[in-house]
Amino acid sequence: MKRSIAVVLGTAATAISLILAGCGGGSASPSSSSGPVTITLAGWSLSTTPEFQTLADGFHAANPDVTVQVKEYDATNYDTQMIADLAAKKAPDIYVQKNLKNFYTYQNGKQLVDVSDVAAKLGDKVGGLSDYQVDGKTWAIPYRQDSWVLFYNKDLFAKAGVPAPDGSWTWDEYVTASEQLTTKLKAAGAKAVGDYQHLWQSTVQAFALAQTPGASLQSGDFAYLKPYYERSLALQNAGAQPKLGTVTTNKLTYQAEFGKQQAAMMVMGTWYIATLLSQQASGDADTFQWGLAPAPQFDKSTTGTSAKPVTFGDPTGLGINPNIDKSKLAAAKAFLEYAAGEQGAKALAGIGITPADTAAVTDSFFALKGMPTDDLSKFTFATHDTKPENPVSKYTAGLQNILNDLHTAVLSGSKNTDDAINQAQQRAKNEVLNK
Amino acid sequence: MSTTLVARRRRGRLVWRNTMLGWSFLLPNFVGFAVLTLVPVALLFYYAFTSWDVFGGAQWSGLDNFRQMIHDASFWTALKNTVYYTVFHIPLTLAASLLLALLLNRKLRGVAFFRTVAFFPYITSIVAIAQVWNILFSPDYGPINDILRAIGIHHPPGWTVSGTWAMPAVIIVGTWREMGYYMLLFLAGLQTIPQQLYEAARVDGANARQRFMAVTLPGLRPTTFFVTVMLTIGSFKIFDLILVMTQGGPGQSTLVLSQYIYQKGFSENQFGYASALSIVLFAICFVVTVIQFLINKRREA
Repeated sequence: MKRSIAVVLGTAATAISLILAGCGGGSASPSSSSGPVTITLAGWSLSTTPEFQTLADGFHAANPDVTVQVKEYDATNYDTQMIADLAAKKAPDIYVQKNLKNFYTYQNGKQLVDVSDVAAKLGDKVGGLSDYQVDGKTWAIPYRQDSWVLFYNKDLFAKAGVPAPDGSWTWDEYVTASEQLTTKLKAAGAKAVGDYQHLWQSTVQAFALAQTPGASLQSGDFAYLKPYYERSLALQNAGAQPKLGTVTTNKLTYQAEFGKQQAAMMVMGTWYIATLLSQQASGDADTFQWGLAPAPQFDKSTTGTSAKPVTFGDPTGLGINPNIDKSKLAAAKAFLEYAAGEQGAKALAGIGITPADTAAVTDSFFALKGMPTDDLSKFTFATHDTKPENPVSKYTAGLQNILNDLHTAVLSGSKNTDDAINQAQQRAKNEVLNK
Repeated sequence: MSTTLVARRRRGRLVWRNTMLGWSFLLPNFVGFAVLTLVPVALLFYYAFTSWDVFGGAQWSGLDNFRQMIHDASFWTALKNTVYYTVFHIPLTLAASLLLALLLNRKLRGVAFFRTVAFFPYITSIVAIAQVWNILFSPDYGPINDILRAIGIHHPPGWTVSGTWAMPAVIIVGTWREMGYYMLLFLAGLQTIPQQLYEAARVDGANARQRFMAVTLPGLRPTTFFVTVMLTIGSFKIFDLILVMTQGGPGQSTLVLSQYIYQKGFSENQFGYASALSIVLFAICFVVTVIQFLINKRREA
């Protein structure tokens, strides 16, 4: 096994150097002398998720010798199906790391080819690259990196007469603004509330983890969650935010809550930009002025447009199946380089997706129809210190399951915050961290 | 001498022929069963004693998984919740389906219609059921709590979003969903009780209650036994309803064994530990069913 990987890597290195020797503008065929090559790529929900086909087509246009075939998987069972396919050696040549939570399983299970050479060529412009590094090697290449930001409805802020976010907010200011919005919007006869927080545990926990100094998932010490939960509970009790019980039982969707102007603010990942644009165009969402602001911060040290706001987001990456045919490896690596590089970034930005290299595409992204044009929105999109939601470790999946139980117990009011945190710490110690 | 040999040989050939014929009839079904059920189940018993995480080989770890289980608080929570569900779901469903069957066993207008209506929940998609019941149970906007408030209960329960009331809510929906199916079994059972027995009881002056106790219940015993066994196994391995209604939440208040197995296996990739948990679930179902068979046998004797 070891030897065969070495051989594969050796061939890859030769092939890559051949490409480098052969191509001036990056458009020559990477398949060296072997003629046309077809590589396969995993994707999900192809009809509503055009990014895979966009990348495949874009790469084929630049490298006519290589055809990229997209193989469809089920979006919700993607990892389960992929694990089964990999174990059966039936998986596509290139497969997507849909989230960081399962990256450890693939990497530790020796299901990824070392792509450090591709990473070295991309440099540090690509966000999220370091999340895929284990033992000094890179195992996957991020092509999109969504970060969580604050979406706000400019019309509702104007109607309520509450000053709009200016990039200087901490969470306490966010809570105050949300409560003010709720009271004043009610007085103005609107049925919207201050903010909407979707049911995911990340809406509370990932901010707490990313922003609190010294917070660590693997420490098994979850005290850092407390102030974040207290604020959410305060907002729920003040009626400024729909309760978790209402969100789950009435199956509220964040697209409708913000898009249909039920809430004036919402923290959400940048993937929602594309959805909001297309829903405003199709009429599934109301037409209103909106903007982006940095996510509220832990304290004042990271607020303001001269600082780098701290937020979270998991990259989406591409990895290579070690079972790939040796003659195709070079083409696969070239595809990774294309997808994460500037060309891929531009192709993705063209369909409203946040690529890993945000700085390269800010202008073309904000040229899309329906995008806000204010400076704060542009600053928010381009500038952020994005920490991983799921820091890579063997304990991450287990710990996140425990913390999800904590999330529903606290926000449903079934347990008070201290008890729930204590219980989660006990469970983490006895069920996950002892292995 | 030679004739007996020939006869024996002929008989031997016949036996062989019949055996092969039998096998060839069995084979199509048996191959499918063996490949899709028997082999995986046999493997399960092996994997339960290994630490296996999908990729690579399974490492033999002896009783480690079972030792881990003893100290695993979540496993005990899941077991407790499973027993909680079972203990309430079985008698409730049994009573409700029997009552329905008795009601709909009479000659009344539109009886076929009512029987069909009672059977509807069982054939409705479980996801749709969960969605609609969740809306009905919604603590602030749901019609159930509206009614409770209207009749003077000022603090109605939070149902699926409350740690204490989530399990009762699931039990109610579980009972509502399955009673139609078991009603059908009871109806079939009721048809097999000879009418003369009722007439004889009436002649002896038995009232309705006495007739139910002395004729209907004993006559239904084979059906009741079958229903109880099916209900027990079904309750212990309850999974889909919980998953779509509460996902085990809030917290761990509705976490049941089969969901815990799913979580350990498919979300945390601890297939060895998940296999060990499955064996425990299998053992529980097995033991309870054996006990039920023994009790049934003793009563029959």
